[in-house]
Amino acid sequence: MSVRSRWFLLFTGLLSALLVIAAACGGGTSSSDKTKTASAGGGKTPAATSAGGDQAPADQQKITIQFAEPQFYDPHKSNFEQDIGVERMLFRGLYNLTDDGSGGVKVVAEGAAGDPTVNGNVLTIKLNPNAKWSDGQPVKAADYVYGIQRECDATVASPYQYVLGAGLGEVKNCDEAFNNKVPVTEVGVRAVDDTTLEITLNKPVQTIKTILALWAAFPARKDVIEKFGDNWTQPGNIVVNGPFTMKELVPKDHVTLVPNPNWYGKKPALQQITIKFIDDLSAAYRQFQTGELMATQINATDVATAKGDSTLKDAVTVVPSGRITSVEVQMKDPVLSNFNVRLALSRAVDRKALVDAVYDGIHAPATYWVVKGIKGFQGNEPFEGKIGFNLDAAKKALADAGYPNGQGLPTLKFTTRDSPQRRAEAEYLQKVWKDNLGVNIQPEFVDSKTRSARFNSGDFQLFPGGWQLDYPDIENPLKGLFDTGGGNNKYNCSDPEIDAAFQEAANATSDDARIKAYQKVETLVVTKLCGVIPLYQDSQTYLVSPKLGGVVPNGTIDAGLPGTYAVENWFVKKS
Amino acid sequence: MTAYVIRRVLWVIPVLWAVATITFLLMHAVPGGPFTQDKSLPPAVNEALERRYHFDEPLWQQYGHYLINLTKGDLGLSVSNNQEVSEVVRRTFFVTAQLGLLSLLVAVIVGMTLGTVAALNHNGPFDYIGVGFATIGASVPNFILGAFISIVFAVQLGWFKLQGWGGPLEWGDVFDTGAYHWDKVVLPVVALSALPASYIARVTRASVLEVLNQDYIRTARAKGLRETTVVLRHTIKNALIPVLTVVGPLAAALVTGSFIIERMFSIPGLGLETIRAVLARDYNTIMGTTLVFTLVISIANLLVDLAYAAVDPRIRYR
Amino acid sequence: MTTQETLITPADGALFEAEPRLGRQRGLWSDAWRRLIRNRLALAAMAILAVIVFLSFIGTTYGPTARFEPNDQQPAIKFQGPSAEHWFGTDNLGRDLFARVLEGVRISIQIGLGTQALVLVIGLAIGAGAALGGKLSDNLLMRFTDIMYAFPDLLAIILVRSILVGRDIPVLTNPKVIVIMAIAFVNWTTIARLVRGQMLSLAERDYVLAARALGANRWRIVYTHMLPNTLGPVIVALTFGIPFAIFAEAALSFVGVGTPPPAISLGILVSTGYDVVQRNAWNVVFPAGAVALLMLCFTFLGDGLRDALDPRTR
Repeated sequence: MSVRSRWFLLFTGLLSALLVIAAACGGGTSSSDKTKTASAGGGKTPAATSAGGDQAPADQQKITIQFAEPQFYDPHKSNFEQDIGVERMLFRGLYNLTDDGSGGVKVVAEGAAGDPTVNGNVLTIKLNPNAKWSDGQPVKAADYVYGIQRECDATVASPYQYVLGAGLGEVKNCDEAFNNKVPVTEVGVRAVDDTTLEITLNKPVQTIKTILALWAAFPARKDVIEKFGDNWTQPGNIVVNGPFTMKELVPKDHVTLVPNPNWYGKKPALQQITIKFIDDLSAAYRQFQTGELMATQINATDVATAKGDSTLKDAVTVVPSGRITSVEVQMKDPVLSNFNVRLALSRAVDRKALVDAVYDGIHAPATYWVVKGIKGFQGNEPFEGKIGFNLDAAKKALADAGYPNGQGLPTLKFTTRDSPQRRAEAEYLQKVWKDNLGVNIQPEFVDSKTRSARFNSGDFQLFPGGWQLDYPDIENPLKGLFDTGGGNNKYNCSDPEIDAAFQEAANATSDDARIKAYQKVETLVVTKLCGVIPLYQDSQTYLVSPKLGGVVPNGTIDAGLPGTYAVENWFVKKS
Repeated sequence: MTAYVIRRVLWVIPVLWAVATITFLLMHAVPGGPFTQDKSLPPAVNEALERRYHFDEPLWQQYGHYLINLTKGDLGLSVSNNQEVSEVVRRTFFVTAQLGLLSLLVAVIVGMTLGTVAALNHNGPFDYIGVGFATIGASVPNFILGAFISIVFAVQLGWFKLQGWGGPLEWGDVFDTGAYHWDKVVLPVVALSALPASYIARVTRASVLEVLNQDYIRTARAKGLRETTVVLRHTIKNALIPVLTVVGPLAAALVTGSFIIERMFSIPGLGLETIRAVLARDYNTIMGTTLVFTLVISIANLLVDLAYAAVDPRIRYR
Repeated sequence: MTTQETLITPADGALFEAEPRLGRQRGLWSDAWRRLIRNRLALAAMAILAVIVFLSFIGTTYGPTARFEPNDQQPAIKFQGPSAEHWFGTDNLGRDLFARVLEGVRISIQIGLGTQALVLVIGLAIGAGAALGGKLSDNLLMRFTDIMYAFPDLLAIILVRSILVGRDIPVLTNPKVIVIMAIAFVNWTTIARLVRGQMLSLAERDYVLAARALGANRWRIVYTHMLPNTLGPVIVALTFGIPFAIFAEAALSFVGVGTPPPAISLGILVSTGYDVVQRNAWNVVFPAGAVALLMLCFTFLGDGLRDALDPRTR
């Protein structure tokens, strides 16, 4: 045969050989992997699941899940939700927030033996005598003292210190210590003895158990932190009091958790949890499909696809979350300070249509501000008729404001983050306001930091944003947001009636009166559209393998990872 | 020649300094800082954070500090999570280098083979197939290719895995056989090497064609040398020169531009880290990664120029 | 028309003004043009490009391709596949994908051309400045070019873009301008090097030396002798730069730092489409296909131009 043909044979031979090797290697390892991963989960064939199905043997109790990489593993430095979701698996506080069985929230004693004894402004809390750290040492009152002191310490600079301070936790001297007015040792917390903790407040706080359940009040080991400094959260150094401890941490890639041998609560069934740090939710979706992930967040737009996929539809998990999305409005802007303009903008939007068009109906349309699941939730009924969709009323309001059919109204800037969902939302709203009102908005897409910088300096007109609950209480989405001069009141809502209602809540003597007062705040804020135009309550969207049992997502407690407040209940089902 | 090499190597230092300075200035011109976020931090917290990273000092002072620390090899702390930047950069670069070099190797081998075969079969079927593959590879953006091969070969056929890097993540794991998962390596490398392979194929084909028409090839054939010798010894070596021109910038591009693939396959590499740092305004990490990239690009260019001289005896550097 | 080699006799300075010089120039370009047309691939590429340009610039307003507005939202019919009504299907808000892709092609072409125009200006200025300005300026400018060449492209683009977005400077309100400036910022070094190299070697050529000996004005030499001969490789480089710019824009938009919306570019379409690839793959296939087609055509055109203008094969 000719020289040329010899070359071609060689070439094709090589190529085919390569392909065969690749397929064999890939196919080979994946088929052997398949038996392992099939039993440990993966969305290929959902087994018939019985409620509380049997557990798989211990060597198969290993899972890999998706999450964003935590910034810190130290609860007193944490700010972002991804930190908290993981920290709940490593640490526990005096109390724990759990699901009450019907999607609501209840507070249970965890590190504490029971409810606090209240004597005026002083709380006495007996500690659970069985509580231990992962190195065997008992969890002492002194550890809680140190933890709370750290939270109020200006050198630690915790972004959540305000939760223990004035208006919320009201822990004595916490704010003063944080502002360097008194030393941290003056903070109103002390250890009476090893199992008795005493906390002194500035005034009685109805929600103190909820606040003490937050990561801000987690205990901390003074000896460990002093010995290792900032490296105390490295595996090998870290000492935890929660159901799991850290075995391995590869930054940017994953963290591996294993059961804490000295955990005093229910022994976890899972022997290993590997949390992979994945930001690309489209890629995470595919990794769930190949069985490489057993639980993951997914894009809202992928929910419909998953539901239509027979291998995935049982894994789809949609949970109403503790977040309200709204359009925030700069009240200082000469055009937007006119109530009728805001009213027109609000009444021109059919929220249901918005949610259906952009999010396939996953989120819940909302004319309210306090999310469903919170005690004191009022829902859409009181507000729908006042600020809800009504084209005629919207047009009339705009005319009343002096801009009939939008004539004379300058183009409004709409500053939002540049992501596909936000883009679609902005484009939808732009069209709705143009078609229905003749109002022009100019979307401005910026990256996250630029957007935050603008928000903080008040440099915006219309700003899609919202509020994510820090803890499940009615005061959280209101306090500091709508009172004049409030720390998060960047849109300058300032109304004497609203301030009066806040005052009423602060002075309330009973929990019911307090909640009623806050409901009044919500009503005033929403009906006056003071700084915000509510749009919808978000839902969190996950794929959770049917092979993984015991996961109970709760939108108001969860911080991106479903059900980690009770991770000790998770298990892999027998296949 | 030695003098040339030394001069080139020394030249890297002022280039690094200039790049560091430009980056420093650009970085601080971007709105928003590392601590900016929607829920404003209490002023006390802001101050404490800024003090910890020296961000409260005037710019020129920060710049001075940075340069001094640089000479000591200290790249500072990542603002996002307090880790040492040099540590982060070292680890992520290790992974990206593996991905990049492997892709380069595959690209060169496949590209040169494809190009040579196509040229030898000029205007025949293999030529058209080869050129066809090459043009497709050159025009489909690598992330689209990555998404589609993921769906077809991993999700639907189950041949490969999608998550993470299939090689050692740290130096210590290099000899640990458990750290190698070939089924994770294939897809990202294919996606990343498609474009360079196409360029190399085109260039190889063009230069082999040109070489084949040269007189010395005719002479070799007339002398009665076997075709294999003709091809291997004479053709390929001469065809290498234009290929080398392309390989230099390609290598740099591969190592530095792999972030999309890294993101898609959850590979903890340097490209991904750079993007994250820029979006989070993590000043120290931005500076660290920029310097590493610049170093890589400069060294790649130097190596290519040296390879040039090695392959083409006519080239002499003064 | 045949190429004419003008003989410059030292005694006759008037020949500089003579027709034959211009004739030689016309000969150069028309000669190249003929060679280009003979290249079948390049011809096909040019034809396809012409059709694409026509469709995307004219066809968006007139004719059967202008049936839908790119921003016409109809959420009820979202994520449909290709049909007789919507040739490419619909996107996430029910907009006609064909109209959007056409619009995206137009914007991407504008970005590609705009980038290269800016690159030409900068590269020419710096390259010529280095070649003609004497030793010192050569050193300075070339060192500057080296530094910019070593600068990581992507990082520079992201930083420049982040700085420019959101400012209230009038020229920046057009979103395309921002990405054009950002890409040009990193792309000019090749042209600068090319121009400098060409001009330096041309400066030693006989006819230029002769012209100088005759006392011709420096600028005239540059303009009439050096520039036309430099432009050949430069045009080729620019033609290859267009697909690079289109691809870069797509990659940047994918990360979220590309053309700022509300402009519709192919990059934005690809990035939005990737996010919903599981839901409706057509949303990414058609825009990506458009990117691929544009890149292919410009690449073949560049190949053809290079062969046509290459002095060695003449």
